[in-house]
Amino acid sequence: MGLNEKPLSTLHEKSSYNLDDFEVPTGREEQWRFTPLSRLKGLHNGTAAASGHVIVDVDAAPEVTVETVGRDDARVGKAYVPADRVSAQAYNSFEKATVITVPREVVTSKETVITLTGSGDGAAYGHIVIKVEPMAEAIVVLDHKGSAVYADNVEFVVGDGARLKVVSLQDWAADAVHVSHHHAQLAKDATFSSFVVTLGGDLVRLSPSVSYTGPGGDADMSGVYFVDAKQHLEHRLLVDHSEPNCKSNVDYRGALQGEEAHAVWIGDVIIRVAAEGTDTYELNRNLILTDGARADSVPNLEILTGEVAGAGHASTSGRLDDEHLFYLQARGIPFDEARRLVIRGFLGQLIEKIEVESIRERVMSAVEAELAR
Amino acid sequence: MTVTDRPELEGLGNYKFGWADSDAAGAAAKRGLSEEVVRNISALKNEPEWMLDLRLKGLRLFGKKPLPTWGSDLTAIDFDNIKYFVRSTEKQAASWEELPEDIKNTYDKLGIPEAEKQRLIAGVAAQYESEVVYHQIREDLEEKGVIFVDTDTGLREHEELFKEYFGSVIPVGDNKFAALNTATWSGGSFIYVPPNTTIDIPLQAYFRINTENMGQFERTLIIVDENSYVHYVEGCTAPIYSSDSLHSAVVEIIVKKGARCRYTTIQNWSNNVYNLVTKRAVAYEGATMEWIDGNIGSKVTMKYPAVYLMGEHAKGETLSVAFAGEGQHQDAGSKMVHLAPHTSSSVISKSVARGGGRTSYRGLVQIEEGAHGSASTVKCDALLVDQISRSDTYPYVDVREDDVSMGHEATVSKVSEDQLFYLMSRGLGEDEAMAMIVRGFVEPIARELPMEYALELNRLIELQMEGAVG
Repeated sequence: MGLNEKPLSTLHEKSSYNLDDFEVPTGREEQWRFTPLSRLKGLHNGTAAASGHVIVDVDAAPEVTVETVGRDDARVGKAYVPADRVSAQAYNSFEKATVITVPREVVTSKETVITLTGSGDGAAYGHIVIKVEPMAEAIVVLDHKGSAVYADNVEFVVGDGARLKVVSLQDWAADAVHVSHHHAQLAKDATFSSFVVTLGGDLVRLSPSVSYTGPGGDADMSGVYFVDAKQHLEHRLLVDHSEPNCKSNVDYRGALQGEEAHAVWIGDVIIRVAAEGTDTYELNRNLILTDGARADSVPNLEILTGEVAGAGHASTSGRLDDEHLFYLQARGIPFDEARRLVIRGFLGQLIEKIEVESIRERVMSAVEAELAR
Repeated sequence: MTVTDRPELEGLGNYKFGWADSDAAGAAAKRGLSEEVVRNISALKNEPEWMLDLRLKGLRLFGKKPLPTWGSDLTAIDFDNIKYFVRSTEKQAASWEELPEDIKNTYDKLGIPEAEKQRLIAGVAAQYESEVVYHQIREDLEEKGVIFVDTDTGLREHEELFKEYFGSVIPVGDNKFAALNTATWSGGSFIYVPPNTTIDIPLQAYFRINTENMGQFERTLIIVDENSYVHYVEGCTAPIYSSDSLHSAVVEIIVKKGARCRYTTIQNWSNNVYNLVTKRAVAYEGATMEWIDGNIGSKVTMKYPAVYLMGEHAKGETLSVAFAGEGQHQDAGSKMVHLAPHTSSSVISKSVARGGGRTSYRGLVQIEEGAHGSASTVKCDALLVDQISRSDTYPYVDVREDDVSMGHEATVSKVSEDQLFYLMSRGLGEDEAMAMIVRGFVEPIARELPMEYALELNRLIELQMEGAVG
């Protein structure tokens, strides 16, 4: 019939640990067509030698263990197999990986903050594994700063009934290039929430993905980005539902201002035959504030079973609603202030979900600073 | 074919290998595509030199272009085993008895009148009572200066007009199948509506005389001049049985300033057919183009009606309904390209998959620089009625202008137990209840169809849903 001979899903990219299994991207591939390859500084074609440093500093909760391990540690690369050229390059090039373990049934007393600081002296590769053992609970913050050309893979392994909340801040210096995969593997009844905030950097391409190894998993993924002139901020999400009765919810919102500000959002969801009772929704909203900015928003949905609890997606791109502005102006609020209020409301709804207060305040004030420009 | 002296087995053989081809017709038509075949087609039609050149260019580009790697799997198409030109009288069944049993049953269930049956199986050359009515319609149109002929006649009788617009919307090398169509086209409709003319009744292909009604590579060209309106209805809802495995039509529509065009089609090819169609319209200032597109039949359909919004305040609309049963893949959607300020587009797509069928929505909304103040909404809903069917949504949005509003929304749901229970508790059988829910689901599109089409669509859904439960 032809239908059966095709790969099950066109969204599921091939995965391999071997760099040679991935051709050097040319920019024509579906996976790469939005990314300006010339600005990747060689991360995609093997010319970026690991001559630089991104310093990994962990301020851990007292209950967790932090280890720096070599490439051959058994826990590395267990949950995630690289799915594109740059992630395979990162996997083959990192020297030391950071492994953070939250022991079984432990609820951490404070958040674990991992600060990654670029030293600005060349390309660097990294690997982080965050393992939350069954029934444990933790909050982890990834804070990216400084100037770097950095490719890395981050694995979140969430055990049976465990809960993990992750906040990832991409607050890079203006010239940074960062290509990253964040993969979460959820066991039975695991809960995972991720909050991505991307503000700085010349080019950031972040690919958060989720897979399930047992029923009842729940993934909630939110993101906020603010794109300025000449910046390229790309988020590519993939949720692969292969187990029954799991949930996923994706909500990414961004604002764009300035010439050649470019936001890309890809939201792929696969619901496989076994994943009956899946409930999934994806949402992306882009607010384009000035001329010359561009937002690409592509939600894709592949459903291989009829027995779904709910599946859908929505994507909107547009400028500020004149009516909202008029409403506020009619109440005596000047235009500039009204505009700021509306944008703050648009992003603020999401930002409020960040549980770590200091981070929430930092993100809010960063947005304020962007709006004051 | 196996030689046998048992007549009942012979009948089976005919069904399997193509009921419509008598030996004579089979011998007359060559299989495979070559320059000779293309030259032959052109010579048989006494075409001008420029058309032959275009056909040959199409042939060259067809050879060069790769098969699309996305969408459905097309590798099973054997281009060398296709007859590229068959006279329609040879292709169509000569009598009711020659039709395969399942097609006959479907016709009966649809309640197609005897006269229609004649038309469906023998083409419009056959005599039937309604001939007079159709003749009247033709005279009215002629009085208004409307040209409505089949495409071959259009080329013969209106060459200047034809040459100006042919291939202007869909270039020869637009895609592999458009190139193939340009090389081998035959049949289709050619319509010109002069300025300030409103045609009240929907134009249907069978109003034409001496027409090749449904071609394998039909080519339709519609020009709606300023401030005019036409509604064209292609094909019909009754299943069209064809032994040909590939159908690849091209439809080009030009909607001039202030004009409006509506194009309605419900394809119901038998489920051995690859239906790969290129449809595109250009809409100028203040013009409106509406596609109403139903996909019920075929094995594989890849069809994305497009509107290029060229002038300010132009509007494009697509209403699409797809139904995929066992072994079918309906890969349909729409393409809206905004090239001028204050243009708007809307796409509403509804799809139903059952029995292991697969429906895909694949669309593109592109807002080019300069198209400020444009707005677009895309809404796709899919209904799954069992566990083994599949539904995909691949919308694509490309916005290069800031002052626009863009929305996309998709939902995929299964038929809810509550709805079924409600209807069944009121005495409906499960089949009936399921069919009623599906009908309700596609109702927003069915109500846009001419009444007789809406009724037929509803009956088709019932037929498709037969045996869907239990």
